[in-house]
Amino acid sequence: MNPDDIKYHKEHTWVKVSGKKATVGITDYAQDALGDIVYIDLPEIDISVEANSEISEIESTKATSSVISPVSGKVIEVNEELSESPEIINEDPYGKGWITVLELENSSELDDLMDVSEYEKYVEEESK
Amino acid sequence: MRLTILGAGPGGYVAAVKAAQLGASVTVVEDKEVGGTCLNRGCIPTKTMIASTEILSKIKDLDSFGIELNGSITPNLSKIIAKINRVVSTQVKGIKGLFKSWGITLKEGRGVLISPNEIEVTSTDGDKEKIETDKIIIATGSRPAQIPAFPFDGKKIISSTEALELTNIPKSMLVVGAGVVGCEFACIYRELGTEVTVIEMLPRAVATEDHEISELLEKELKKKKIKLITNIKVDRVDVRDDGVHAFLSDGKELISEKVLVSIGRALNSGDIGLEEIGVGKGSRGEIAVNNKMETNVPGIYAVGDVTGGILLAHIASREGIVAAKNIMGIEDIIDYNVVPSAIFTSPEVASVGLRENQAIEKGIKFRTGRFQFRALGKAHAIGEINGFIKILSEESTDKIIGAHIIGPHASDLIHEAAVAMNAGLRARDIAGTIHAHPTLSEGVMEAAEDVHGEAIHVPKK
Repeated sequence: MNPDDIKYHKEHTWVKVSGKKATVGITDYAQDALGDIVYIDLPEIDISVEANSEISEIESTKATSSVISPVSGKVIEVNEELSESPEIINEDPYGKGWITVLELENSSELDDLMDVSEYEKYVEEESK
Repeated sequence: MRLTILGAGPGGYVAAVKAAQLGASVTVVEDKEVGGTCLNRGCIPTKTMIASTEILSKIKDLDSFGIELNGSITPNLSKIIAKINRVVSTQVKGIKGLFKSWGITLKEGRGVLISPNEIEVTSTDGDKEKIETDKIIIATGSRPAQIPAFPFDGKKIISSTEALELTNIPKSMLVVGAGVVGCEFACIYRELGTEVTVIEMLPRAVATEDHEISELLEKELKKKKIKLITNIKVDRVDVRDDGVHAFLSDGKELISEKVLVSIGRALNSGDIGLEEIGVGKGSRGEIAVNNKMETNVPGIYAVGDVTGGILLAHIASREGIVAAKNIMGIEDIIDYNVVPSAIFTSPEVASVGLRENQAIEKGIKFRTGRFQFRALGKAHAIGEINGFIKILSEESTDKIIGAHIIGPHASDLIHEAAVAMNAGLRARDIAGTIHAHPTLSEGVMEAAEDVHGEAIHVPKK
């Protein structure tokens, strides 16, 4: 089940905002499409990232894929656990499989993102 | 025909055998050991070491192959070095055996040209001997370059030569230069457990390779937790009690147990009498030769690293063959259009022909085919899915003009493209050839298919 307290980006990433902190990860649909994840190139702390640009790169046994940031901001935390065990993303994409926390720059960017029902419709359309 | 060759490396010894096969009476003068840098301090020892680190890497991943290890594993560097010595000595004997079978005389000592027909050999115990000869081939090779900023002491500040002789695994190592040698040793020592930092003054690692290859190799180094810093110079190093301090051009300072300097090679063209008899040299000391490997002095030829150009054992060997044939009256010229090369990093890198930027600079219109190893069943079976094959073909003729591989067995796979290029074949010729399944070579076929957007195991673009 996709959670309803987060926002979704069309490149299959999600963001959960709490105050100025925006936690970013990939969706269940994305992890399923990628298959077994074997490596993630985590962003460096303190770099700034623009919305709709690459924030990380994920390698699975099937493909190498960019992780697109849903919002702009400065990287303030990364999920170090993923460098040793990237498969956590497959197991728990909305929980323990979070990728990074950004310091949110512009909360109006959230308006450009989808809510859960819009995202599910979008995925349905895309997979047709 | 009496032929005397200075140097028994891959240029000199191959020239010796070829000339002897063609009927020459050959003498080879060598002041170290036959096989040269390649066999004694380069290609063969490093690949022997890599064979050990590859096993180590596989063992770390045993579980994924369904094998349980009960107990611990420990790499023992002095045993690895002992294996290197065994491998090298077997090969040295092999070359000496070849010499014997072809009636080639080996003089152990240092040779100096007295005239175009005379060489003086000084043996290790100081005896001098003059050899009269009709022709001469200079194949004296190269050695690790030294610059004052990095005063080699052979213990803490080392070159590739000493990196093959360490008996204890260092805790940390700074590698200066992310070229072929630097990247290979970075992978070797990282696998053995050393914390490795590589510093390169150019913008990327293995900068002479195709840019996509460099990018992926950099990522793979990062995955191994090798720290690569580009666009930075090491200004100087200082040996102190707590380690070697390296001072970087951005003002930072790094401390490591060893510093491996791999910034290129210096040519062995000094002190062998060339100036006295007027053999022409270039600014780096490289002996100037034409495409028959002749120097400006009639009867004197030069081959291999000492002539500059691309310093590769297999180029030296081919040049040696060209020189030997010309000396024996069979006209031959050297052609550098198809020279495969390999880097034994993990994953391996190999290339032949033009890099993409070279093709663009030359104004050639070309198509590019790419294929990822991870789309091959065989790559998954052997657990090595990283990397890709890239083939460039000329747009108008479809002739292959370059191929670049990073991934498992790249150094072997590249030769299919090399043969194709040498024969002037098209991407369609490789694509149209049935390739055995399941093999990594299928990737070469698919990359050739992808040149025309016809690969089977590539999703619709």
